[in-house]
This record gives sequence, C-alpha cells and structure tokens, in this order.
Amino acid sequence: MKIAPIDIPEPSVPPSLVHCRDLVVGYAGTPMLPPVTVQVRPRELWAVFGPNGSGKSTVLRTILGILPPVSGDYICHAQSLGYVPQRNEIDPAIPARVIDMVRAGVERNWSFISPMWTWRRREAIDDALGDTHIRQLTKEPWTHLSEGQKQRVLMAQALAGNPQLLVLDEPTSAMDVHAERSIFALLDELRRRRSLGVMVVGHNLGVLARFATHALFVDKDQAAVAAGPVREVVGGSAFVERFGRGVADTLGPANAT
Amino acid sequence: MPLEQPPTLQDFFASWDLFADPALAGALAGAVLGALGVYVVVRRMVFLSAALAQAAGFGVAAAWFAQIHLGVPAAWATPTVGAGLSSTLAAVLMTGGDAGLKGRRDGWLGGVYLIGAAGTLALGTRIVQEVQDIETILFGSAVAVSPEDLRSLAWMVGIIGVIHVIGLRGFVQVAVDENGARVRGLPVRLLGLLLMGSLALSVSLGTRILGALPVFALTVLPPLAALRLAPNVGYAVLLATLIGASAGFLGYISAFLWKLPVGAAQTLCAAVLLAIAFLAGKILEFLHNRSAHRHGHIHGAGCGHVAIRHGDHVDYLDDGQLQHSSNDGHEIHGLASHTHTGNGQACHTDALNLPSQAQPHGHGHSHVHGAGCGHPRIAHGDHADFLVAGRLHHQHGDHCDDHGPVDIVD
Repeated sequence: MKIAPIDIPEPSVPPSLVHCRDLVVGYAGTPMLPPVTVQVRPRELWAVFGPNGSGKSTVLRTILGILPPVSGDYICHAQSLGYVPQRNEIDPAIPARVIDMVRAGVERNWSFISPMWTWRRREAIDDALGDTHIRQLTKEPWTHLSEGQKQRVLMAQALAGNPQLLVLDEPTSAMDVHAERSIFALLDELRRRRSLGVMVVGHNLGVLARFATHALFVDKDQAAVAAGPVREVVGGSAFVERFGRGVADTLGPANAT
Repeated sequence: MPLEQPPTLQDFFASWDLFADPALAGALAGAVLGALGVYVVVRRMVFLSAALAQAAGFGVAAAWFAQIHLGVPAAWATPTVGAGLSSTLAAVLMTGGDAGLKGRRDGWLGGVYLIGAAGTLALGTRIVQEVQDIETILFGSAVAVSPEDLRSLAWMVGIIGVIHVIGLRGFVQVAVDENGARVRGLPVRLLGLLLMGSLALSVSLGTRILGALPVFALTVLPPLAALRLAPNVGYAVLLATLIGASAGFLGYISAFLWKLPVGAAQTLCAAVLLAIAFLAGKILEFLHNRSAHRHGHIHGAGCGHVAIRHGDHVDYLDDGQLQHSSNDGHEIHGLASHTHTGNGQACHTDALNLPSQAQPHGHGHSHVHGAGCGHPRIAHGDHADFLVAGRLHHQHGDHCDDHGPVDIVD
C-alpha cells in the first residue's frame, strides 16, 4: 500500500520587517552602546526603554536611516516606515492644520512633483484619520490641540503612508496616565488591525510591560543592551541590575499576542 | 517764492515710462524673495539672507575693484557676476560649515555678514568714483533700473518660480520636518541645495539691483506677515509672494511720493504690511474664538476631558457641561433626563436614601456633593448632578439620589 505524502505546513513565522545584527550606533563613528541585535516582525510591539540619555533615540534614528550606523548589519525589509517624532520637535510657530500634517504623511520619494498624488491617496488619509479618531479635527490648527490630540495627529501622519513598521519616539512624554494608556491602547489596536510592527520609546515601565510584546533595553552607562520578549528582558540581568529585582517582579505579564 | 508742490500719484503714473522698470523690478524681487523667505523664516535662519546680501554687496564692490585696479575686462568682472560668485561662495560656506561646526550656524552667518559689510566699505574707499554705488548696494538707494537688469530679474524669477511651483510640497516638507522627509525618502539634500541655490541667486541679483537692506527686509517681513495669516506653509508661500511684490512696488511709489531712499521705503512698506497682517490675524483669531467658544483645545479622544456617549456620538464633560467639538466649533449638548445613557435606557430619579453604612456609589455616606467636592459637576436637565463612578449623583438634602448611569467612553 502506497502512502501518499502529507504536506506538513511549516510553522508560519512572518518575515522580519527590520533585522539588525550586531548594529553599533553612535555619533561621528564613536560607539554609544554595545552591538544591538533585533528582529522586528509584523504585529510585534517593541518597547525601547532605558534611563535618560541611554541611547534609545539614537537606536531608533539609526534604524530609521536618519543617523548612519557605526558598524554592523542593518536590513530593512519593510516597504515603508512610519516615523512619529517627539511632539516638541514640531515648531508651534509654523502654521499647520491637522489635515495638512496628515497629508504630509503620504509623500514618498518624488511624489511631491505629482500634482494629483495627495488626491489619489485620500483614502489612506481618511483611514489614518479614522483609525486615530481625529476626523472631527481636520481643520483645526496644530496649536489648538491638546497633547493627546497632537500625538494622534502625528500617528495619523505616519499611518497615512501605510507603513509596515511604525517607529515612535517618546509618544507619551508630558502626558497624564490616562492619556498615556489611551495612546498605548491605540497602538496596540493598530498593530493588531494593520499587522504593524511597532517600535516605541517610552519611560513608563508599567505601561510598556502591559502593552509590549518585546523589549529592547539599552543603558549607555552600564554598556548594556538586552533584546527579546518582554518577560525575558525584564527578568534579565541587565534590567535587574539597573532597576532591581523588585521592579522586575512587579511588572505584569507581557502582551503575548 | 512759491513752495514746491509735493509729487502726487498722478505724477508718478504720468511718468510711468520712466518708473516702470524700477517699480516692476521691486515687485519681481519682492515676490521671489518673499516666497523663498518663508522657508528661511520657518527654518529659523533669517540672518541667512542678510549675510548673503552683504556677501553679494562685497562681490559687486570687488568686481569694480578688479576692473579699476587689476585691469580685469569689464565684460568679465561685471557687478552681477561678482555678486553671484560671492553669494554662492557664502552659501556653500554656510551650508558646508554645518558639518564642521555643529550648532554654530548663527556664528557662520554673523561672520559672513561682517566680512561682507566690512569688505564692501573697505573696497569702497579704493573705488572713489563708484562710492555712490556702494551706498546703493548697502542701503538700496537706487532710483533707476536698466532694462537689462529687469530682463535678468524676470528670467530668474521665472526659472525659480517654475522650480518652486513644481517642487512646492517637497520644499515645504523639508522645511517643516526634515527628519520626517528623510525617512519618507524625499530627496532632502537635493531640495536643500535647490533652495540654497535659488536663494543665493535671487539675493545676489536682488542686492545688485535693489540693495542689501531691502533684500533682507523682503526676505523676512513678507514671510512673517504671511505665516501670521496663512493656515499652512504652502499658502504662506503664495501669500508672501503677493505681500513681497506689493511691498517692492508700493515701496518704490512711496519713495517717489515722499522723496525717500527706495530701499528704506520698500523696507518700511513691508513693515507696514506686516503690522496690518498681525492686526488682521488678531481680529480673525478673536472672531474665531468667540464664534466657536474656544478655550484652548478641541475635544476629542485623549483630550483630557471625560468622554461620555450621548446618543449616536461622544461628548466631553467640560466646565459642567457636555460639549461636542466639530469643525464648526463647540456645541453645548444638554443632557436630557431620559437620554443620557446612550442606549435609550431611561434615567430614574428615585432617591436611594441608602443606609449610612452602604457605599455602593463611590463615596462615603458623609460625603456632601457641592463645589469643590472632588467629583465633576454635570448639567442634567434643569439641575446639576455629580459624576461618580459612571453614575449621576444628585445631592438631595442630607443624602444622594441616583440619577442613573452614563456611558463613559474609555
């Protein structure tokens, strides 16, 4: 009797959006941290955290291509990246309405020389406004918005470009706990609904541990880097050495899905 | 002896053939400098144009010096070539200097400005027969513009205009959010070079024709006025073009009417237009705020106020009232006695009169609702309640009445 071969499906591991292997970040050729190895996949939410001035933003800026790496490999498979800068990087003296800021997010490469480009991307703009719940604010000037609303506008701007990887630099700084949770809940919803990979710099360990699936801990002073699932990083020696066993134990279970 | 009659507007237009070229040159230069100046102001580099203008002035003086003392043929060492070369060199120095002197761009600007001004004055003493022109370069006292200069200016405005209309959105993106533009793959470096090239060209030719002072003024004042009034940077570029052209043209007319130096008159005209823009901006802002009942921000998700589902929409509790924000401003939404749950569930106004030990509604039995009690007040029909753990509490004598739930949106 002949037995027909059975196709056993391979466990599906989505391809990585970003793969950093022994990536050394720094300025003017001077390393700031030990080599970083990170692989970000769709639907993963990476919390990038560490003490002030520890190199978090430098890692993000290197991954985004704003800063050149000192050494190491960096491969970006994501077709497009969405970058959400810190709110204080937006000059309030520059006039802009919400719709202007979100429309800016659809520009890619040389798209700005196409007169109809923004019109053709209107559905993506509308989806981004809807996903961040700011449709009612389109005509509002940036300066009339609350901090939480500004953050949603910047997220909508990044989402308008239909990114596969969303990178946020301290999106909840100067926000109260309620607004911070609201932003992270939105991020969590977006990464599931849009199958986004997300990297977010933050300081509130409780909120990060609640919403993140993975963590990248960086500490320039201790020359320490740890990356992986949240539970492993929080329980790791680098984290414990910096924050203590008590903090590690009190942080809740990771957001595993 | 009869007093001389001051010139009138009629006199000006009666001699239009004589004044057309310089007046139109003022308008054209004002238009292009105003438009490019928006990017300069947005990037907080207003002294860039001042430094470039002084460098261009130095180039003009150097061209004359080369003709008179070095025997360079006049066809080679023209003032226009001198202005173009020196301002381009200054632009390269100031942009290239960023790499070596991080955070000291203002120092570079100051250095170029000082060397340009001092060099122009120093060379002026060696070209005595041209000293009147040195004043023209520095302060813009020109009253005549040659047809060749006007043609050169028109060509330059046309070329720069086409480049900047085609690339408008790109130039705006790079000026407003350079890092974001870089991440999105826009040709940031090329756009920066094109902007700097356009600026060097227009400032050098503008300085050659109008003088350094009005060139600096037209690059700063019209953009400031436009940014005050425009809703975004794109519109600001358009508006600054119009304001700059108006300042350049009206400045020339003002110089004729009140016998002022042209450069000073153009600068003052730009300043008056800026003052008008600020006043208009204040008035518009006041009217907008009054009509929309604004108070600092627009309600929406994450705005910091308690969000409550009200029928088919979400309102926000602010100053004791349910408010709804839309593009038309705030609306006050009254919470009627039978609609506040959002799902049609009627509110009830039964007095709970709870036993003193019971605390099912979020506070101790001795708590008395009122001003400063710590719970948000909320207008409810013809009275005010207090919001406690998703329910409306109404202080009724020595106890609380439960006026039903509201649907708080997380």
